[in-house]
Amino acid sequence: MTIKNKACIVGIGSTEFSRASGRSEIHMAVDAAMAACRDAGLKPEEIDGAVKFGTAGQTSTEFTTETDVARCLGIPNLRYFAEAPWGGGACCATILHAALAVSAGMANYVLCFRSLKPASGTVRYGRPANIPIDSHWSYTMPFGFASPTSWVAMFTRRWMYETGATNEQLGWVAIVCRENAAVNPRAIFYGRPITMEDYFNSPMLCDPFRMHDTCLENDGAVALIVTTPERAKDLRQKPAYITSAAMATGWDSYCMTSYYREKIGIPEMEEVGKELWRQSGLTPKDIDVAQFYAAFTSLVPMQMEALGFVGVGEGGPFCQGGDRIRPTGELPINTSGGMLSESYIHGMNMIAEGMRQIRGTSTTQIKDVENVLVTGGLGVPTSALILSQGR
Amino acid sequence: MALELNRRYLKYFFEPVAESFEEGFWEAVKQKKLVFQRCKECGEFLHPPRPMCHRCHSYDLEWVKSSGKGSIYSWVVFTREVNPLYRVPFEVVLVEMEEKGVRFISNMAEGNPEDLYFGMPVEVVFVDINDEWPLPMFKPVK
Ligand SMILES: [Zn+2]
Repeated sequence: MTIKNKACIVGIGSTEFSRASGRSEIHMAVDAAMAACRDAGLKPEEIDGAVKFGTAGQTSTEFTTETDVARCLGIPNLRYFAEAPWGGGACCATILHAALAVSAGMANYVLCFRSLKPASGTVRYGRPANIPIDSHWSYTMPFGFASPTSWVAMFTRRWMYETGATNEQLGWVAIVCRENAAVNPRAIFYGRPITMEDYFNSPMLCDPFRMHDTCLENDGAVALIVTTPERAKDLRQKPAYITSAAMATGWDSYCMTSYYREKIGIPEMEEVGKELWRQSGLTPKDIDVAQFYAAFTSLVPMQMEALGFVGVGEGGPFCQGGDRIRPTGELPINTSGGMLSESYIHGMNMIAEGMRQIRGTSTTQIKDVENVLVTGGLGVPTSALILSQGR
Repeated sequence: MALELNRRYLKYFFEPVAESFEEGFWEAVKQKKLVFQRCKECGEFLHPPRPMCHRCHSYDLEWVKSSGKGSIYSWVVFTREVNPLYRVPFEVVLVEMEEKGVRFISNMAEGNPEDLYFGMPVEVVFVDINDEWPLPMFKPVK
């Protein structure tokens, strides 16, 4: 038994992406949720399920609860609610929860949302004031090892050593994502492509990562609505069918600091991959376009290896020159610009972009798209989805 | 180079906190000893510590003094300040200890970032952070 074709995503809502939204997380979440309802052709009061994000323990405003949103939208009752934890690792897991809920009859229309305000709000990742008091951080924080950039840099350097991947190859990931963002009016980096020279001249933040290896910090919210294929028939938009959805922790998992297991890379995504291919009966060759979670450039070639698009050691060379990952290449990636260049909404904007590829409405539309891969955050327990045209 | 603290910002030091099963590790650190948890039943090292052996599920665990020696498994160099207590540039190293299966995050107390390499032999040295806390850091084996 699998989840294949038992649920679909029928609404996309988003705020503008900006460096200063001028309003709270809850306000943005409500704006995105209303936009998703309008897009789907649903009245907000028809929503009867919600899935929110959790991180590894930050502040309460950042969590923007499902009740905050339900109150503001006038939703009479949520008969299903859940939280998908681990920050970016949660993004596709919110859809997985929603798909389970609607396919089991626990809810008719489930709202999945994320609202973030790291550019102008009080919660900024990796600052000393935001460290949660949790004993596992005792093995990293006292040593000044205190930013997501550094945590991912640690396993990236080891991966570069083991595979021979180069900074230039990572630079191509940054360049291609910026090319895609350059034609996407929603993107923070709309109209602002970069060159390899720009990449190498960007300031070193935490060696081996330069500024252009790292994702955006911006404000915004994205909301998505999940329902059953039967209900989708009565709605406004072409649905994106959920062909497979998976979550995984892998062995000996910590939040961002899983350095004690045999492989310190991204074994969670290998586990997710096995499950995605098993449920869908598809192989990497069937994926027409991929939205790889890329808070950092290295995560793109590392995921290509973990999910079996290429062999171990081939991810870096695959990105060299950029042509194979461009819109005309064998595996187009991150067609909105992704989190390096469009917006950082913990991956929810990448699910929205995956849906646009199914609908045929992307600003970098790939031809004849049947199946889209979307993945969740790395270095944490994670999740992924395959979205398809369906029956 | 290596780690240099800006002691004006000692308030930003993250004081280690421990669950009940980890206290042995941090109490040893306070006495400038590096110990790791080991299962008496099957011999598995467990780091960071845990309440029970994840291999054989025995609760019979002990604290074993480390040789203090290991090799560099990976590292990063902070070049942009994140926490003002730590002057940039400084290295964070992931050391593979001689004790099988144990890796340890720490800093280099001596040496230069550009001299680090994979497999580089290092040994522990304790550095005083404040009146209460020394921390186990590493220096190149000469
Ligand atoms: Zn044991």
